[in-house]
Amino acid sequence: MKTVFASKLEPLLGAVAEQMELYVPQKSGDYYVFRRYDRSADVPVELNNIRTCTPVKEFLFPLRETAAVYPKPIESEQVKPFAVFGLKQCDLRSMAILDKVFKEEEFKDPSYVERREKMFIIASDCSEPGESCFCNILDGKAYASSGFDLNVSKVRDGFIVEAGSDKGDDFIEKHSQLFSEAPEALLTEREQDRAKTQQQLEKNNAELQFDTPLKEIFESGQDSDVFDVEAKTCIECQACTRICPTCHCFYLYDTARGDYFAKMKMWDSCMRMAYAEVAGGANPNKILGDRLKHRLFHKFVYFLDRYGLEMCVGCGRCVDADAGGIDIRQMFKKLNEELQSKDKAEVTK
Amino acid sequence: MNENPYQPVNAEIVDITDESPTIKSFVVVPEKPFKFETGQFVELTLPGEGEAPFTPSSSPAETDKMEITIMKAGRITTLLHDCKSGQKVGLRGPFGNGYPVDDFAGKEVYIVGGGVGLAPIRSLFLTLVDRIKDFKAVVCRYGARTPEDFICKDALFGPWQKIGGVDIKLTVDEANGNWKDNVGVVTTILDPKDVDAGSAVAVVCGPPIMMKFATLKLLEHGFGADRIYLSMEKNMSCGIGKCGHCMIGKYYVCKDGPVFTYEQVKGYPKIWD
Repeated sequence: MKTVFASKLEPLLGAVAEQMELYVPQKSGDYYVFRRYDRSADVPVELNNIRTCTPVKEFLFPLRETAAVYPKPIESEQVKPFAVFGLKQCDLRSMAILDKVFKEEEFKDPSYVERREKMFIIASDCSEPGESCFCNILDGKAYASSGFDLNVSKVRDGFIVEAGSDKGDDFIEKHSQLFSEAPEALLTEREQDRAKTQQQLEKNNAELQFDTPLKEIFESGQDSDVFDVEAKTCIECQACTRICPTCHCFYLYDTARGDYFAKMKMWDSCMRMAYAEVAGGANPNKILGDRLKHRLFHKFVYFLDRYGLEMCVGCGRCVDADAGGIDIRQMFKKLNEELQSKDKAEVTK
Repeated sequence: MNENPYQPVNAEIVDITDESPTIKSFVVVPEKPFKFETGQFVELTLPGEGEAPFTPSSSPAETDKMEITIMKAGRITTLLHDCKSGQKVGLRGPFGNGYPVDDFAGKEVYIVGGGVGLAPIRSLFLTLVDRIKDFKAVVCRYGARTPEDFICKDALFGPWQKIGGVDIKLTVDEANGNWKDNVGVVTTILDPKDVDAGSAVAVVCGPPIMMKFATLKLLEHGFGADRIYLSMEKNMSCGIGKCGHCMIGKYYVCKDGPVFTYEQVKGYPKIWD
């Protein structure tokens, strides 16, 4: 795979935008969100130093979409190729998690698969992890080594651009006039910057380095009251699940549209009261604390049991978004403390 | 399986039978043959209104039509109860696993059912009866609220009881004038002498509370947790293990169930709620 140098970002993005719709990060208040790139608008593109506020799942699994039309099926509109610039390693890992669910061998979700295939991924290094970022606790890094078509790293005087796929390699080859050989000194600089950010992450999250794997911490907390206690300030806004890049629950509903009907797919949230309720009224998660517990057990126990990886990338979006002030990291700590004191009690016995 | 798992197969309701004051059976004819295994479920769509999961009550041997027995319980089932013959509907599926009928061969099959739970069990019963010689015995213990609340009354009160190799006992919570059988919940007719708990397989289907106490009774009789098959009712929606509503621990009831052994699910919280 090719690794090259580009002195400017705009020509690279311009070349992408000539081929397909391009989404780029834009500052909105304190956070970055994605906007459609418009060359003529003359708004300079910033390289986001941290993940965007909104999750990448929006591009692959939209808030609402038509899942089927009946009684006569219609060919769904073809998804046009599109590119997203500024995705961080946590975003790429969240896509790998969604792939497990929506690209599963037995039942593939057709629209997810199509969008995923049409997406051109331009990742970039994370240089300023936020206060809520804890990706390193879940084996995350401040930069990506795979899962992208192109990766951009800011260095002195320009950018190191690395291909991570054949699509990325082809792009560099096709637009060779935009790039020059990557000087060794700049590659070293990139490595140094990456190591520095990684160290920063380790330092920020030193308190979250537990001796026991998170799965075991949760499993030992099956009967803990931590969930009920934490849920006391929850206002059931569901922001945590909507903004989470890995939460993927959805709700199917039917609607009439003139002379035909549509089956719609819309984001849902396991924090919603009636989420698991059946027609007869039974509901295993009537209590808010139980819903919070299910959400976290899904992330750190059940998904891992099923797919071999946690359903959390440590991006901290849920921490930033939570109007009730619930902080997933505090629950890790409390459950770990409970486990430690349980272990100690065992030893004393 | 359809390429788009969300796409329903067009179908039509051709016949409706009143089973009890709150239960009706609908004969549904799909546009193309629709195969399922007994115990699997389908999502029945009422166009423009929504869909709900049901385990067909007919024998899987019939692929040109299917019977679905529905209790009026929520919004969609109430709307379905108001439907007339000729109503267009949609079918998605079949989803999940069925009863492992082949694994039951050579064994006593102990079927414990309650209320509308007798619908999926009817499909299983017909499948077992089709090859009755393969099983040591089929022993059924069914309960309903009142005698009127049984489904398939004509067959249940007569012909089914006369099939060789089949032993059926019934009970009701509240009797009326003509009732001569047992009165009490279904666990009151579970006798340790019914089957050999050390080798038989049990199938339990009914309201959650009934399933809970029947399972506890079977364990008490000496059934292994891995030989108690439960037809779990959760909020199955997508049918393909993605939307999340029907999770029991790591399992999606829609994809990994709806039939589970008690052994599989006993460690998870609130399975009966």
